[in-house]
Amino acid sequence: MIKVEKLNSGYGKLQILFDIDLEVPKGEITTIVGPNGSGKSTFLKSLFGLTDIYSGSIIYEGKDITYTPPHEKTKMGISYLPQTNNVFTNLTVRENLRIAGYILERDEVEERINFALEVFPELKDILDRKAGSLSGGQRQMLAMATALVRKTKLLILDEPTAQLSPKLAQLIFDKIVELRDSYSITPLLVEQNAKRALEISDIGYMFVSGRVVYGGPAKALLNHEKFQSYFLGIVGVEEC
Amino acid sequence: MIDVVIGAIVWSNLLVLLALGLTMTYITTGVPNFAQASFAIIGSYIALTLLRLAELHPYLSLPVTFILGGILGLLTYYLALKPLIKRKASIEMLMIATLAWDLILFGITGAYSELLSSITKKTETLFVFTYLDFEFYGLPGRLIVSSLLVLLTILGLYLLLYKTKFGIALRASMENPSLAEAMGINVENTRLFSWFLSGALACMAGSVLPFLQEIVPQTGYFIIVSIFAASIVGGLYHILGALIGGYIIGISESLFTYVLSIFLGPGVLVYSKVISLLMMIVTILIHPKGITGTELWRKVERWLNL
Repeated sequence: MIKVEKLNSGYGKLQILFDIDLEVPKGEITTIVGPNGSGKSTFLKSLFGLTDIYSGSIIYEGKDITYTPPHEKTKMGISYLPQTNNVFTNLTVRENLRIAGYILERDEVEERINFALEVFPELKDILDRKAGSLSGGQRQMLAMATALVRKTKLLILDEPTAQLSPKLAQLIFDKIVELRDSYSITPLLVEQNAKRALEISDIGYMFVSGRVVYGGPAKALLNHEKFQSYFLGIVGVEEC
Repeated sequence: MIDVVIGAIVWSNLLVLLALGLTMTYITTGVPNFAQASFAIIGSYIALTLLRLAELHPYLSLPVTFILGGILGLLTYYLALKPLIKRKASIEMLMIATLAWDLILFGITGAYSELLSSITKKTETLFVFTYLDFEFYGLPGRLIVSSLLVLLTILGLYLLLYKTKFGIALRASMENPSLAEAMGINVENTRLFSWFLSGALACMAGSVLPFLQEIVPQTGYFIIVSIFAASIVGGLYHILGALIGGYIIGISESLFTYVLSIFLGPGVLVYSKVISLLMMIVTILIHPKGITGTELWRKVERWLNL
């Protein structure tokens, strides 16, 4: 669905990512893991056009979108949900859903909102509450629901379970699987909750210091020596 | 005393209109517009021109002033700010740009007043509209008109911001422009709207101002302090801050100075702006986000379901 080749990007003169090669297959869950500061979140931002890209290419469904502005990417079916500030806290849940369908026709917006509420029925009872008053889990679900309203094909999620209880985190992971299985959405996520995320994923990538050190089946990454070295603290494999 | 109270309410109403524009452009563009008071004085001169050349009463010329003011707001954004924003200018540079724009507008107003004087063969560098005001059941027209303008503006803004798709997009863009852009909203349009409205409201306020006080091209320099004080005391990050701040500053300035003048003599009246300055400084020192940035206000908002 999306193919990245030799991507070099960063912020101004500060290069964060070096020669990233990565592929997200359609209909599969792809997860990127890595230690803090490895460039995972910067990579997601680069995909969405929020960083400075120095060289390389991003191909989405056969089209070069390396320098396509974010609002155009939204129209192409790409949704990016940042870790924080991913909903409008001063708007109600209903308004957040309505604004998510800003580029759609009025009738279509209502149809898409009803669809999003079927996927996230937890939101039905809190439609008139301000998003700022929601719990972390509710807010994350709202953010994902807004992506559904926008007719998302590729859903980019930056640490969707950050600061959530294990129970809520599990709920979010289940929803991500449901989005892929029932609604043909391709999720690409970055997660600190690496083990749990890789368990539900098909493809796994590991970033260290702005470079890809592993790319392949997610389950194999769980047993990879670099993953064990960085996340499970098994020493003697490589310095951390 | 009743005249002082009426004057205080009228002045507060006008401050609300002026501060609303300042707050809106600050939220959408991130620039405190130092030319806001000059917008008002240009509004005064537009009303004077229509009175002298088209014999249109200043109250009847309000729709024209509104549109011309809106165009002035757009020109300010396009000519003074957008080229700098494109070059990623800092907030300080943008502030200085609005100061420079203010000087340009002041120069144009001064030159225009001379030109108008030569056309009408009257002195137009200093004028009032008080002699044109009407009375309705003993209430002066300036009180009725300025109150109606505030009511219509607040009602219009409420309907726009809470009941229309564009209004919700505007609120979304004000809170988080990058997320709004990710939703496909053209954030630039929301900026243009706020600059149009800012100029329009300021010019309308300016065309009512001569019913309250004498106007000279320099009047803007006296009232800019009150406009900033209203926005800052109410809270620069919330549209309703302009409404709250406008009344607090307007009424404090007028009534507090009046009370002081009873004890200290009429000499203190010229120092009315000191009240605004003090209130602004205290707000910045104690709670820079103003009244609408307080926890108490958040509770009120939840209670009012805003």
